[in-house]
Amino acid sequence: MRALSASALALALTLPAAAAGASDERPVGAKTATAPPRSAPLPRDTIKRLKGSDPAQVKAALDDVRLAAKDGAPAVPAITEVLRAGLSPTLTQAAIETLADTESETASDVLAWYSRHRNVVLRRAAVQALGKTRGTVATKALRASLSDPDAAVRGTAATALGGMSARDAVDDLFIALDHKVAEAAASIGQLCAAQECDRLASELGRVPFDIVTSGLDQVLFRGGKDVSDDLKVKIIGRVRELGTGEANRFLREVQGKWLPAWSQRVKQAIDQAVMATSGSPGSGGAR
Amino acid sequence: MKGRRHERRLRRRSIGLVTALATAVACGGGQTRLNLFSTSWEDDGGASIARVWQRVGSKPIPPSADVVIGIAGHADKMVGLPLGGGSKWTFAHPIETRPIVAGGVVVGSGGGEAFALDATTGQVIWRRSTGQIALLGAGDDGTVTVASFRAANSSGSVLLAIAHDGQIVRQIETGVPLGAPAVVDRLAFVPWDGQYISVVDLLNGDEMARVTLRDETSRAWTEEGSLWFGGVAFTRFDEHIRDASKGKASRATIKVPVLPGEPKLMRSANSPVMALADAQDKVKLYARPKATGDGVAIEDGRWYGTYFRLAMGFDASAGRLGWVHLNGSDFVGASAASGGIVLCDEQGKVTELDGKSGAVLSEQDLGEPVKACVVNVDARAATGSPTGAQTFEGQLAEAVLADDPQLVGIQKVLLRELAGTTDEAATKALVDLASDPRTSPELMPAARTALAARRTGARFMEAALARHYDFLKDVLRAPPVGPIAQALGAMKDRSAAPLLASHLFDPADTDDDVMRAAEALAVVAGPDELPAMRQFFGMYRATAADDNVAAAVVSVGRALLALDGAQGRTRIDTAAKDPMTVEYARDGLGELLAAPSQEPGDAGKKK
Repeated sequence: MRALSASALALALTLPAAAAGASDERPVGAKTATAPPRSAPLPRDTIKRLKGSDPAQVKAALDDVRLAAKDGAPAVPAITEVLRAGLSPTLTQAAIETLADTESETASDVLAWYSRHRNVVLRRAAVQALGKTRGTVATKALRASLSDPDAAVRGTAATALGGMSARDAVDDLFIALDHKVAEAAASIGQLCAAQECDRLASELGRVPFDIVTSGLDQVLFRGGKDVSDDLKVKIIGRVRELGTGEANRFLREVQGKWLPAWSQRVKQAIDQAVMATSGSPGSGGAR
Repeated sequence: MKGRRHERRLRRRSIGLVTALATAVACGGGQTRLNLFSTSWEDDGGASIARVWQRVGSKPIPPSADVVIGIAGHADKMVGLPLGGGSKWTFAHPIETRPIVAGGVVVGSGGGEAFALDATTGQVIWRRSTGQIALLGAGDDGTVTVASFRAANSSGSVLLAIAHDGQIVRQIETGVPLGAPAVVDRLAFVPWDGQYISVVDLLNGDEMARVTLRDETSRAWTEEGSLWFGGVAFTRFDEHIRDASKGKASRATIKVPVLPGEPKLMRSANSPVMALADAQDKVKLYARPKATGDGVAIEDGRWYGTYFRLAMGFDASAGRLGWVHLNGSDFVGASAASGGIVLCDEQGKVTELDGKSGAVLSEQDLGEPVKACVVNVDARAATGSPTGAQTFEGQLAEAVLADDPQLVGIQKVLLRELAGTTDEAATKALVDLASDPRTSPELMPAARTALAARRTGARFMEAALARHYDFLKDVLRAPPVGPIAQALGAMKDRSAAPLLASHLFDPADTDDDVMRAAEALAVVAGPDELPAMRQFFGMYRATAADDNVAAAVVSVGRALLALDGAQGRTRIDTAAKDPMTVEYARDGLGELLAAPSQEPGDAGKKK
């Protein structure tokens, strides 16, 4: 129980969020389970080319920074500088995507600018990038983007907020969920405290099942320090109460992903819920 | 073959009419077939009508009933509401044409008979079988009712004079189109052919006089102690009537501005008016003529109009709108009174409005919804303490903001009125109208144009600018940034600068809005707006998707040149030379740099 087995880890990494398991454990060593992305060294003249007037040279320099990934961080000030000064739409998009690859928080400020650009393609790219650069500026900009006129921007912002552990955004995400921003459910599931998770579960029956369970799925697979077994059992109970075929299918999926090393109490609740709902129309029968 | 069939059909119709009349005549009265309504008549220079004036000019004409008659149910019931007090009454009877209040009686027809009721009590005075002929008009002098009818599917007319004891005094059938008659001292004044009034002596059926009027005329009636003829104007029967054919009769008309629906003062009485109210009843003009020392005038110097659920008061001399009243449901009948107007709506509500202000003086109720309504006011004057008085601007604002698609036509007119006022309330109304997603697309361009021309009410415009599209807060429509920016820019309202700057970055605003906001900023921006303007300039100088946004870049560039010192000039100079800067902006910025001095706003204007 102190640590997950290697196979459990591998499976856990395929789960919706940073998959959790045992009632008091989160996966460890996850970052070492896969090889870090390879990055190319940043050519010396990159920054000079970025500041040049030749669009082809600027593009090539941005590509070099992208290849460097996080190691391209030294180029971030230059990229933000040229973005502030203005680039063509194509280069603007490339620069935004490059900043995303650097995952540098210092890029969030200029990305926040472009998260309000009139060009929706640039807006979507900026919002996506903010999810990677993170920080308080990014959080603020992404929360604002939940109100964007474009549905894809709203959805991307909701997803990004969940991915960057923006706890403060949970209330906004609930409002977004009320406004049919489906992506908000999964992010709430990633971020919610006990009471908020329970609130999400209470949306069952009001919000489409698939949307709510995209969030509940996240809650159930979060670590025990984040979400107690009591809450998980309660959530399973709420799904079970629905007694529908889709509830049964969801519970069976959870059952299939629940590793033996994880909480037995929760597993027992899942198993019982699967049995209780197995006769529901459309459930596919008992297993 | 076809011609013969048509001839047979006409003959059958004629037989039908005669049969109906024979039934009507069977109970007594002499049938008259004189040379009445002859078109070969020669103008006698007013001699005959002058003789009639000599005979009846000094006879007192009693006031007609002040009463509202509602047609209720399935057009099978009348509800009477005496305005001077007295109980409501009902009368169950099929009603096929619009009832007429004449003197103290209500004349109606339907179900193959005509009838007269006491207007105050609803008691039947007389009823006669008429067959399928339709009531056109009626007059009553207290002893005899004269009514004109049109046979169904025929151009022929019938004039019946029926004493209050039910006896037919006179029956005249003619091939000419008769209008609505009046009767004074047993003389019937019968309009016909749109221009003549023939005076028929009911004792012998002779046409004892005729007058030719120079206005389209199909109605005769008594009001305010006088006999009147009318259609498009009011002509008084007085000593000047002898000169009517020379256009010198005592007459008055109203000057009507162009109004939607082309409302009429009087409906032609040459055709029957169906029992149920139609659009002509809802969109109509009302005025009351008044005898003066030297002729005729319009009572109180005002006339009125209805447009579905709006009532309006106009100045008679200039035709200028004085007030507007918004009602809960459509008006279907009204009558101008001394001091105001009495209106009846579809819900059966009777409202008396002050002629001067449009404020409500009194409200009564017929007790049930009505299909049509006839309002007759003669001696009653609209008096009392007005309630719910609003300013003219407030009335206009309420009317133009009414969410009612059928009002759009008149709302355009009212919007022009509103735009012509300087009151801040008008600005607020225009902001609300231009911001409201329910505003008709037909009204929106005019609202935006009017808003852009405002020079008062900056605080309402700033309050609107403080709003932005916000999906989560259900604010799904951006404020009318463009016109507001134009107005605030023209007003040089520097306090609006931060609000205008914030709209440079709202993707929900239109490109035109952004252009206008930037134009205004070029005039009102201060140092505090520099960061926002630098940001906008950087974001859009090379990504502006169209000329509007590029023009906004140029406007902001102009402001930066003025406010950002050497740094600003360098920024503009660099952008003007950079091939990545969109062409429109590059050209504009180049011109900015080349120009020795700029008038505010010029640089940003779209070419």
